[in-house]
Amino acid sequence: MERQNSAEEALILLRIRLCTPNFIFSLSSDSPDSNYSKLKFILSSSVVEACNNSVLLLGPRGCGKIAVLELVLEDLFKEFPDMITVIKLNGLLHNDDNCAIKASLSPCRNFIKLILVPYAVFLFVDEIARQLCVEHELIFSKMASFDDNSQFMVAMLHAYTYLPYLITRECGLAHKTVIFVLDEFDLFTQGKQRLLYSLLDAMQSVTSQAAVVGISCRLDADQLLEKRVRSRFSHRKLLFLPPSKEDLQRLLKQILLLPSDSTLPQDYIVEFNARLLNILAGERFKDIMDKLSCSDPTINNLLRFSAVCFMDLKSGFISLENFKAALSSIQRQPKLECLKDCSILELYILVCMKRLEVKEQESYNFNAVMKEYRSIHESFQTSDHYSRSVCLRAFEHLLQREVIAFLDNRGHSQSVEFRPVKLLLSPHELYQGLKSYRSCP
Amino acid sequence: MSPTTTPKRSKKSQVNTALKPSSTLPQTPQPRRSSRLVSSLDPPPQSPPSPQPTTRSSRPPSLNPISQTPKKSNPDPYPVNDFFDQSLSSPLPPVSPDPSEPKKRKKRSESIQTKPAKNENIEGKRRNVEAPRKRVYYKKVSYDGGEFAIGNDVYVKRRENASSDEEDPEVEECRVCFKSGRAVMIECDDCLCGFHLKCLKPPLKEVPEGDWTCGFCEARRSGKRVEFPRPPRGKKRVRTAREKLLSSDLWAVHIESIWKEVDGSFWFRGRWYMIPEETAGGRQPHNLRRELYRTNDYADNEMESILRHCYVMNPKEFTKANNEGDDVFLCEYEYDIRWLSFKRIADIDSGEEDGEDSDSDEDWKFCQDSDSAAEEDVNYEKENRLNLFPGSSPAHALAANSRKGQIFGLQKIGAKKIPEHVRYHKQTEIEKAKATLLLATLPKSLPCRNKETEEITAFIKDAICNDQCLGRCLYVHGVPGTGKTMSVLAVMRNLRSEVDSGSIKPYCFVEINGLKLASPENIYRVIYEALSGHRVSWKKALHLLNERFSSGPKSGKEDNRPCILLIDELDLLVTRNQSVLYNILDWPTKPQSKLIVIGIANTMDLPEKLLPRISSRMGMQRLCFSPYNYLQLQEIISSRLKGIDAFEKQAIEFASRKVAAVSGDARRALEICRRAAELADYRIKKSALPPIGASAAKALVGMSEVEAAIQEMFQAPHIQVMRSCSKLSKIFLAAMVHELYKTGMSETTFEKLAMTVSCICTSNGETFPGWDTLLKVGCKLGECRIVLCEAGAKHRLQKLQLNFPSDDVSFALKDSKEVPWLAKYL
Repeated sequence: MERQNSAEEALILLRIRLCTPNFIFSLSSDSPDSNYSKLKFILSSSVVEACNNSVLLLGPRGCGKIAVLELVLEDLFKEFPDMITVIKLNGLLHNDDNCAIKASLSPCRNFIKLILVPYAVFLFVDEIARQLCVEHELIFSKMASFDDNSQFMVAMLHAYTYLPYLITRECGLAHKTVIFVLDEFDLFTQGKQRLLYSLLDAMQSVTSQAAVVGISCRLDADQLLEKRVRSRFSHRKLLFLPPSKEDLQRLLKQILLLPSDSTLPQDYIVEFNARLLNILAGERFKDIMDKLSCSDPTINNLLRFSAVCFMDLKSGFISLENFKAALSSIQRQPKLECLKDCSILELYILVCMKRLEVKEQESYNFNAVMKEYRSIHESFQTSDHYSRSVCLRAFEHLLQREVIAFLDNRGHSQSVEFRPVKLLLSPHELYQGLKSYRSCP
Repeated sequence: MSPTTTPKRSKKSQVNTALKPSSTLPQTPQPRRSSRLVSSLDPPPQSPPSPQPTTRSSRPPSLNPISQTPKKSNPDPYPVNDFFDQSLSSPLPPVSPDPSEPKKRKKRSESIQTKPAKNENIEGKRRNVEAPRKRVYYKKVSYDGGEFAIGNDVYVKRRENASSDEEDPEVEECRVCFKSGRAVMIECDDCLCGFHLKCLKPPLKEVPEGDWTCGFCEARRSGKRVEFPRPPRGKKRVRTAREKLLSSDLWAVHIESIWKEVDGSFWFRGRWYMIPEETAGGRQPHNLRRELYRTNDYADNEMESILRHCYVMNPKEFTKANNEGDDVFLCEYEYDIRWLSFKRIADIDSGEEDGEDSDSDEDWKFCQDSDSAAEEDVNYEKENRLNLFPGSSPAHALAANSRKGQIFGLQKIGAKKIPEHVRYHKQTEIEKAKATLLLATLPKSLPCRNKETEEITAFIKDAICNDQCLGRCLYVHGVPGTGKTMSVLAVMRNLRSEVDSGSIKPYCFVEINGLKLASPENIYRVIYEALSGHRVSWKKALHLLNERFSSGPKSGKEDNRPCILLIDELDLLVTRNQSVLYNILDWPTKPQSKLIVIGIANTMDLPEKLLPRISSRMGMQRLCFSPYNYLQLQEIISSRLKGIDAFEKQAIEFASRKVAAVSGDARRALEICRRAAELADYRIKKSALPPIGASAAKALVGMSEVEAAIQEMFQAPHIQVMRSCSKLSKIFLAAMVHELYKTGMSETTFEKLAMTVSCICTSNGETFPGWDTLLKVGCKLGECRIVLCEAGAKHRLQKLQLNFPSDDVSFALKDSKEVPWLAKYL
């Protein structure tokens, strides 16, 4: 019973660790070459020496760009209390950005409304404008004519001119540094890039003190900027790379080892750690790690991997089997599994479609498939024959599961039977799937 | 003497007056809403020269028991007649045009202000020079026996040594018996004189309802010559603070913030009130006797100068207030000292914060601009959307010295203590270099653009100095970062100094950035606002501007000045039918317009891209800013770094050569050097943790840092990413290259690629991971834009294409340790 309790406790502790990215990245933040210290240097120089910087954090997803930034910001908050305002924008959140801004500004509540309101309005309006701009240039230009009616639109007219003064005000008087965090930076580069232009241009003035941090997984994000915007951008780039295999393993060890000074019973900790080290050193575990990092070596993936491996924890210790289960749950083959669930008729249809493709028929619709089905039926003299309407239902089912798809998005008015379709499975996959299917004739 | 309803202006007409105070409006009689405990009796005559009467409350002296007995010992310096002249003759002698007064005020507030202003300047600009002083801000302060809080209104002494104003009676004397006494007094609505009820003829029993004018005023109105009873000999007619204020011997101020300076003295920031005489229009017939205007003019003053409280109220409170004593004033409008325009306060306060905010923004900006000009510490990179030079009006000067004040709201928060250690350390050479290389810091001189600036100067002078001032148009183009805007602004600065010295006629200058307009049409709005100070919708603005430019100058005084319009990022104004550009460029061709347009854009052939009718109006005169060559860049950098020993000579040359080869963008060159300095700084700080002063001082920014900075700026990081990506992605990429060589087509589908991958895998003893995993890998690469791909839902039909040359891929993957066999497929 006691063992059970301590196991649960340990599980909670480890899960907490896994879910807080700050912990993981703080482990690797001390070396001078790390992105953490570089970023911190850049941002703190913008606070201390009033160097207005703009930085791009680039790297594949799951490498901890945001986590490191958060860590840096947290440190800066500690170091220079009351001197930093962070404004976060996400390129994906369009309309909801208003809320996001309010949330991010809430720590500095001592801002009077006077400042807060234009900010919120500015962002809100800007978001609308940009979104519309992305979808339709025309709507955007027309929108200005509505300004007489709506307060928001009036605000929008001034939004761009506001920004520099707001920054200036804050810096000049409140002695604050504004740090703009633009997540999904590449999405901000759509449209006319007004936001970026005015941000970066405002940073050129003497009195303002601001930093722009763009985060993107597109490596060519800075090439997306317009020329005049790029010229104003101070090209700081930090590249976040996935860690190497050895680093991954070290990291995993650091995460999973229980601390010796926790509330857990001492003997449990010792036993737990010993077993864990044993596993980690083992050859078979190395294989698992190889397979894992083979496809995706990012830290995020590692976390997901190790989070899963606690699913069954009855004995109170992590076993090799847990890791194996975790790996197989990560590396799934959805298409093949999908094939396993298909009915015989659906498989028939798939096979028919494949045969049609082998015959180099470029496009075909349900009727053609039906014809093929009938010909198979006649040539092989199988016992099961289904009516046309049943086949159609199976066909639609396949469509819904996206095993097959329509060739184009046009012609919604046409009924399902006549629209050209395409098989999304390769013959190879189909073959594999059929092989693994037990009851296949 | 029967209480009657008084005519009062309706709301609507008041709004109108807010805009045009100088026009006399038809007065629509309307019953007064609240009948007050005020006295008075006849409907005031409607003769235009007489001021609009108000009801004034009776002021029982018992409310101010402290100063029951005003000092009367002084010999009388003010003869009665004098007083009559000042307060009874209507209209009063105009005080506002007196040039000495504002100047005095300016001087004084400037001298007082210098210290805090300097302090803030230093904090704002050169943070490391001086440790920021601490100021303590208060909400409420007990000072000199009175309690002053933020938001109070107070009298402020106008002259430091006005000895005759020593005594400060809080209670007015009766004009008949010249005693203040306890008896109830009544105030004439016309001359604001107080009378004891019992001293009147016939005596009143109680304060009558409605308005009341004294017998003297009535008599005067009916044309009789009246004489006030003379005061008894040896007794001075004491002027109250209110009278002094209204005859502009005192000022009223609205306290915006109070703080204690480091040296222990108390200061406050005030917002001036103005009496109608001080405004541009002078006292208007519709001005009430106790009416004040709130200005948007601020100044810092010492608490010493505060006399005591007064009460400025809005009309609503004013109608309710009856017994507050003498120091009650009405304030309904805000007076914009720059535009000399009026604005209803209620609109400003309750309506959109937006309005006021932006107003003060503009003004603040404007102030800042003029102020910085005065200080020779110019920051012209700052976007000054409005940049007007209204000659040498006193308001201008006033605005300049009150620059700090506009940000009243933030002041309260800004009172935070700044950690001393943060900005207080000695700068190393490299840090200095970093600071000077900032884009924001401005060099004293602009090297390498002499020819162009001369050309612009010549163009503008040519356009202005001709008496006809033909409209002209100049198109400036060049790649980003070649100093286009900077040069034009520098020219404008030089010209302004010439205006100040009087060699050129004044002009107005409007600067607009096309990218900062929400939509192209808004440019009309902005222009009109800059020219006239009024904010209207863009359609109306267009109409008004059309009128102005086509029909020539009207009688207004400002309209005569030529106008220079600088439009940055001109290409952003191109709409579908190009009407905005057409309009703007059409104005200069009108004979009366006096408009000069300078357009700045990047593209060289913008006029050719436009409709012929526009290009014929615009393309006449062009100026090209060619990219800097490396010598010029070198000069720019070294001129900035003059006196700072932080860079190696070759390093600068290397950077400038590199930039000149790519773009010739000065911004970029500066950024590279700054980044290099930053890298060096970083290296030093990290390596020398035990601080060794000597090693840090002699450290120079060398080639390696510049090289690294250039690498960071110009090199795409894809090779690094490819090297570090997973094994499967490497195989994936190799398969793509292989496919490319095999087929010669740059585009391939996922199906074909998967076949290749599986071939490669089986022939090299790798396990083929399965199609779905492969698809995931492909999508990941697509996210990083190493591979261009369609959405993953297309699966087998997904089209793939390498985003970088295949040589890059093979270079990156050639010597990978994980999969050495990949090389043979590359």
